Amino acid sequence: MSTQITHPWLIVTLREVETKLRDKAFIISTLITLLLIIGSIAVTGFLATRTTQFSVAATDQTSLSVLNQAASDAEEQLKISVEQLPADDAAAQLDAGQLDATLSQNSANKFTLTGSDEVPAKLQGALSDATEKVLTAQLLTSAGLNADQLPGDNALEISQMHGDAERSSMIQAMAFLFSFLFYMSAIIFGMPIANSVIEEKQNRVVEILASAINLRQLLAGKILGNVILALAQLLLFLTVGLLAAYLSPVQIPFLGVVSQVAGWFVVFFLGGFLVLAGIWATLGALASRTEDLQQSSGPVVGVLMAVLFIGIYAKGGFLVIASYVPIVSSVAMPIRLLGGEVSLVEPITSLAITLATCWFTILFAERIYRRAVMHTGGALTLRKALKLEL
Amino acid sequence: MLELHQISRSFSGTKVLDEVSFAVPRGALTGFVGANGAGKTTTMRIIMGLLTANSGHVSLDGKTLSAPTRPSFGYMPEERGLYPKQPIIDQLIYLGQLHSLSRATARERAMDLLSRFGLEHRAKSKLESLSLGNQQRVQVAAALLHEPDVLVLDEPFSGLDPLAVDAMSSILADYAARGVPVLFSSHQLDLLDTLVDHLVIIQDGKIRANASAEELRAAHTSRYQLSLGADAGWLRTEPGVEVIDLSGSNALVSFATVADSQRVLTHALSRGNVTEFAVHRPALADIYREIIA
Repeated sequence: MSTQITHPWLIVTLREVETKLRDKAFIISTLITLLLIIGSIAVTGFLATRTTQFSVAATDQTSLSVLNQAASDAEEQLKISVEQLPADDAAAQLDAGQLDATLSQNSANKFTLTGSDEVPAKLQGALSDATEKVLTAQLLTSAGLNADQLPGDNALEISQMHGDAERSSMIQAMAFLFSFLFYMSAIIFGMPIANSVIEEKQNRVVEILASAINLRQLLAGKILGNVILALAQLLLFLTVGLLAAYLSPVQIPFLGVVSQVAGWFVVFFLGGFLVLAGIWATLGALASRTEDLQQSSGPVVGVLMAVLFIGIYAKGGFLVIASYVPIVSSVAMPIRLLGGEVSLVEPITSLAITLATCWFTILFAERIYRRAVMHTGGALTLRKALKLEL
Repeated sequence: MLELHQISRSFSGTKVLDEVSFAVPRGALTGFVGANGAGKTTTMRIIMGLLTANSGHVSLDGKTLSAPTRPSFGYMPEERGLYPKQPIIDQLIYLGQLHSLSRATARERAMDLLSRFGLEHRAKSKLESLSLGNQQRVQVAAALLHEPDVLVLDEPFSGLDPLAVDAMSSILADYAARGVPVLFSSHQLDLLDTLVDHLVIIQDGKIRANASAEELRAAHTSRYQLSLGADAGWLRTEPGVEVIDLSGSNALVSFATVADSQRVLTHALSRGNVTEFAVHRPALADIYREIIA
């Protein structure tokens, strides 16, 4: 049985994937995240299209004008049906639940809106605006003026030189989503690389593995397995999210741009994740027990938190710089691309920087891994590990 | 035959192995003994390609082993290593695949070995749920799975109960009989007597003995066991006799020459009964103690 197998890394990769796919906690957390994505899009759609209807009775002429004004000004999702009734009938119908509220004028400037158990907030808002409008109009008419002559709410118009306000809020939402997805995947799939290296080191399985296959192949298989899992999960989330957004009855703006940039995000994610995978593997090789990882992983988790915050809050020049720094660029560059004012050269340059870093990190990781993984005894520092002889 | 040729290795300036040379012949069980820190594990790791030698080389049937991996060797490391939280069968299949077996063959061999160890009903159990002795058996199964050309086992008997020791012994003997060179280290010196055909003794990184068990015994048979009918105290004053142990009528002695032995025998017979006058066959454990003393 002395034939050398050609692709031992593939066996290691498949095992990493298989082990994870059998992990119930992983399956359940993925399903829950999927449900959350679909749920949040569905809820947004439902809230945006839901109409609320109120039946309100006026007990006098002025109140009727107020209600008519409110009904005509109301936004699309609010319907107010109006009728005029004598005060007693109105009170009786309100009590019987046939009306949602009644409106009556007390004095020249005062109205009372009466509900049965509660007065809906939406109705209050709509009527207080309408009351003001009707009273102002009455005053103006008595003074011989026309309401249209007054400066209205729209005296100040908003315009932006670059992009528009709606786009800005879309970018903000997507920035949060990209940052969060990256952060989550980096932890969920990065940490296991370190843990599986430690496990094999701690249990000395690595001695058996290393006598059978090259350590380079073992490391490659481990990283590749987790990259495949991370990428598959990300693609699943993005596809389901975008699909739900397309199918949603509400027109979600900028869906085209978002889909395009999601593609870029996947590419940048892959680059950033590979750099991290190398770092996680190095940390695993340096540790001697799982507990060591809690200390040594601090800086990496710190960097990931920074990515999360930079992704959510960074603006302007800072974001531009961040979009060229490996790992951070995985989130920062896609966010800039959402703005739509980035030339194609920029993401390609940034990606090249990330891939170069990736190459060096993996080579370095392999160097440390080959030296440190056979080491028994306490945790190692980087310097000590580099001095170890093979 | 597996051979080590003048292997030296230092760790941060300290020489751990000093020109270590010995052979592990086919068809025999070779025991590898030495105190803690004598260099056994380092030697075995160098054989397995897990460590590199500063000088010297390892060869199998005259061919130098150059690649860092030994996929055709079976290895059991000193600190037991498998995945504690995984089903036994899964990890055996995985290791089999890494040793170029197909999934199906790996499963078949794994089940076969597990049933030889009486563990077939535990195939789907997690390793950590087994007793230490049974975990050890799984570990051996992992080393034998790919029907190795060479077996290198670091302390295969430690932690085993007597029945498990017997089972392990018979498996090792079985492999040796098939012509596989088997090298194993052990601290249980009494085991060696019945088990090994060949013994290598290492002390402070140097090989102190490397011979077949018979040769070693022959080289250490200058002693005689005497049982007389009466007190044997007179032996102390006999010229050419060194008394090593004496209690009542029994004595363990060594003679300066063969003539001395014959003279003492005649003398003893003239003094009364002689119930035993035999060449003392030393235990390998005694030889070991003598060599490293």
